[in-house]
Amino acid sequence: MTDSMERFLTGKGAFVADLDFPDLIHLKIVRSVYARAIVRSVKGGITAKDVKAYMSAVGEGGAGGTGPVAYPVLARDRVNYVGQPVAAVTGETAAEAEDLLDSVTVDYEPLKAVADPEAALRADPIHPGTKSNVFGEGQVGRRFEDPASPVVVEETLRNVRVVPNPLEPRGVVVRWDGRRLTVFASTQSVPSFQEGFCESLKLPKRAVRVIQMDTGGAFGSKGGIYPEYIVAAHVAMQRKRPVRWIETRQEHLQATEQGRGARARMRLFADREGHVLGLKGDLLIDGGAYSAGMADWSPRWIGMQTTGPYHIPKAHVTGRAVYTNKVPLGPYRGAGRPEAAFFIERMMDFLADEIRVDPVEVRLRNAVDAAFKSPTGLQVPPFKSFLEDAIRETGDRNRAPSGNVGFSAFVLVPAANSGEGARIAWRDGRIKVWLGGKPHGQGHEVFVRRLVSEELDVDPSLIDLEPSDTDALAKGVGSWGSRTAIVGGGAVIEAARKLKARVRQKGPYAAKKLLAGKYDVKVFYKPEGNFNSLGANLVAADLDEFGLVRVRDVVAYYDAGEVLNRPMLESQVAGGSAQGMGQVLSEGAWYDEEGQPLVGTIGDAGLLSATEMPTFVVKTAKTRSNTPHGAKGVGESPAIGVPPALVRAVERQAGHRLTETPLRPEVLVAPVKA
Amino acid sequence: MHPRAFEYVRASSVPEAVALLAKGGEDAKILAGGQSLIPLMKLRLAAPSLVIDIGHIPGLSGIREEGGFLRIGAMTRHREFESSPLIRERYPLLADAVKVLGDPQVRNLGTIGGSLVHADPAGDWGTALLALDTELVATGPAGDRSLSIDRFFEDPFTTALSPSELLTEIRIPKAPARSGGAYKKLKRKTGDFATVAVSARLLLGPEGKISEARVGIGAVAPVPFRSIHAEDSLKGRSPSDAAFGEAGRLASVDSQPGSDLHGSPDYKRAMVRVLTRRALETATERARM
Repeated sequence: MTDSMERFLTGKGAFVADLDFPDLIHLKIVRSVYARAIVRSVKGGITAKDVKAYMSAVGEGGAGGTGPVAYPVLARDRVNYVGQPVAAVTGETAAEAEDLLDSVTVDYEPLKAVADPEAALRADPIHPGTKSNVFGEGQVGRRFEDPASPVVVEETLRNVRVVPNPLEPRGVVVRWDGRRLTVFASTQSVPSFQEGFCESLKLPKRAVRVIQMDTGGAFGSKGGIYPEYIVAAHVAMQRKRPVRWIETRQEHLQATEQGRGARARMRLFADREGHVLGLKGDLLIDGGAYSAGMADWSPRWIGMQTTGPYHIPKAHVTGRAVYTNKVPLGPYRGAGRPEAAFFIERMMDFLADEIRVDPVEVRLRNAVDAAFKSPTGLQVPPFKSFLEDAIRETGDRNRAPSGNVGFSAFVLVPAANSGEGARIAWRDGRIKVWLGGKPHGQGHEVFVRRLVSEELDVDPSLIDLEPSDTDALAKGVGSWGSRTAIVGGGAVIEAARKLKARVRQKGPYAAKKLLAGKYDVKVFYKPEGNFNSLGANLVAADLDEFGLVRVRDVVAYYDAGEVLNRPMLESQVAGGSAQGMGQVLSEGAWYDEEGQPLVGTIGDAGLLSATEMPTFVVKTAKTRSNTPHGAKGVGESPAIGVPPALVRAVERQAGHRLTETPLRPEVLVAPVKA
Repeated sequence: MHPRAFEYVRASSVPEAVALLAKGGEDAKILAGGQSLIPLMKLRLAAPSLVIDIGHIPGLSGIREEGGFLRIGAMTRHREFESSPLIRERYPLLADAVKVLGDPQVRNLGTIGGSLVHADPAGDWGTALLALDTELVATGPAGDRSLSIDRFFEDPFTTALSPSELLTEIRIPKAPARSGGAYKKLKRKTGDFATVAVSARLLLGPEGKISEARVGIGAVAPVPFRSIHAEDSLKGRSPSDAAFGEAGRLASVDSQPGSDLHGSPDYKRAMVRVLTRRALETATERARM
């Protein structure tokens, strides 16, 4: 059991909602009930007249937007999604603040909402002053003439939006001492939060300090700032009292950026043996009301990965992101990687069906021995030998009685190249370590302790991973994108080596000398090269007469490089697999035509529980990365590999092509007329 | 997620609870197990000014057979059904229902009376009891009166109780010989409300023919209801795939499902057919035991 596990399981975690100050103010947000409306007036509460700020571009993929598409902290003359912050109220208790929500009157003039991304292409722009709803357009690969191939497979595929739903919703406590803001946050990145507060509030960096509290999950939703945080800062500065804002689950379901929301029209050209000759794709991203999260760069990012690990000679993928009257799209575990894998893996299965060849065999026929760069720009490590190993390691795929098994393979592209900061200090009898990105459920302290103790030759029990704090370590990035084992690990090793070098200035290194002195070092580790790694999944599942799916086995074979801690890796894979299963089986952020969310409570959100869990088998390949410790990323792998393999397992029983997640039971049962 | 301010009173007797209810009128709510009321109050979908806790009234809970009836106190928690040998051995339909009701936390606190009075169209107890010729005892200022479960549910979340009445007991005629019942629920995952639920109870005559049939359907109409067409089609027939298939078809015709996150009306109708067949098959097996 790790320290953080023990703390959390014994109720000793300190989350932002646990933080209390005697003069604390509680903040609540009045939210739009319409997906699109003109705001005629707002009476009562704190409004856009008080908080004139706009959202800024921070965190993974942030893009705030300027001019007519700027994202106001509190809605000005229009609202563009259900849940958009319109006004705020405060109370001495949370209940009082909630009572006061009714004291604010908003006069709306409802407008026709654009909820469907396809409709958004044709509809008038939702933002006045713009020419169309398309705001992110891109293409990868080179245009090519359709080859005269005997086999052409065509399909439209879709991943419906998903709500992140970490166990702990979002939240901040903000204090102002007259010169400086201190933000206590549930976050994946204190540097991103600091930058976001500074930009939105036009404050210099030294005027904002961000401290991470224990963070109960994030899945991408806590990498950047949100309107509520800026309102909290505004109130703290006005009233000179600490302000707490804690998201409710209902608010989370409406107003936290959602993931996936991608559609692809795919065309695969192949010969009769299943060798893919070319790939064409067109992507459409359901961007939501503002370009806050990652939609604008999704067409190129997803497009780049649509060739998967396969050697496809020609590929051309176009894409557009469109504004819709929904909460903005944001990063969600995998953030574009699972979408790309779903699109290409489904197409490979359809190709196999078309030519009546085993889907795994088709994958083998498109695998090559050497590393290469695909026409869309994806760096693929040597795939053929990995795939052969994966087929062997994931076991007999036909062992299920009815052959209800699906297989997938993918390239994981970790967000490693931006690097990470680390600091190690020896003081007060402890070796204290700071990282740019602190865990939000992963248990990074386990690998930090191991790597630092090995490098410095000291007792691991002397080492602490400290809470992230911009005052302790200003230069850092954050924890997302399967990056922390790679760059966080590299950063602590580099910091430990720097520390050793300091000790060595007084002769040969010995831990005793370190512990007798006083040291404090900071580094920023920025590795060169490519950290892409390969993964494969096998999933066995059964479909019943009600259209319900029971997942029996999830087997993973991932190239994790040097495994830093096997139990931690296995729980990452189990958790990520559960998340991938949720996306396939029941999690969907559905909206009606008016842009009203259909998922109103956690009971409708489709989250799976322990009773739905299968058996997990986790195996690893070991190809060292070019970091000092040889680790590779794994956090997003199961969210990428499990969905296509699971959908395939179900498809073999449904008897027709399955093209959309989540799978709805009514699509899976043979139609019976009453 | 904080309720509006409210007054809380712990009633120590049924007459006291009834008097408080009469005094509080529309703004008063009875708190039994709190598994529906508390979330509704926290979501501010309900904002009673007076909450009357009946959880500490002696004698309001318990399961026993007496005078030709299975008598169940309204405050009986779901968990007590799970652990009752009497329910397990003699009322398997109720055992089926409680096993798939909510999750362990809900079952530990939630009560049968609270669930019935909440009258969720997809609530398990309402559908289950429809197959068992159940009588409900309501206590009001003028004393007790008995209501049939058939006429108890009037609209979603609305029952035949008057505002000053309290549900105090559930009475089910003792299970006759050569009878069998079953409850089948389709739900997407653990803890979910029903997408479709079906209860069935059959009485077999001396020649093995069906002499009496009751079929309750839940979650696919404004209130749980009995499919009279399905029941009539079964009477006098021998249990068979054909008879059960026909009953399932009729039950699905009697349903009026809406479209929601659980599925389309066509899907739900198809599932009514499947579940009705499955419930009748299990009920038959149990009647023959």
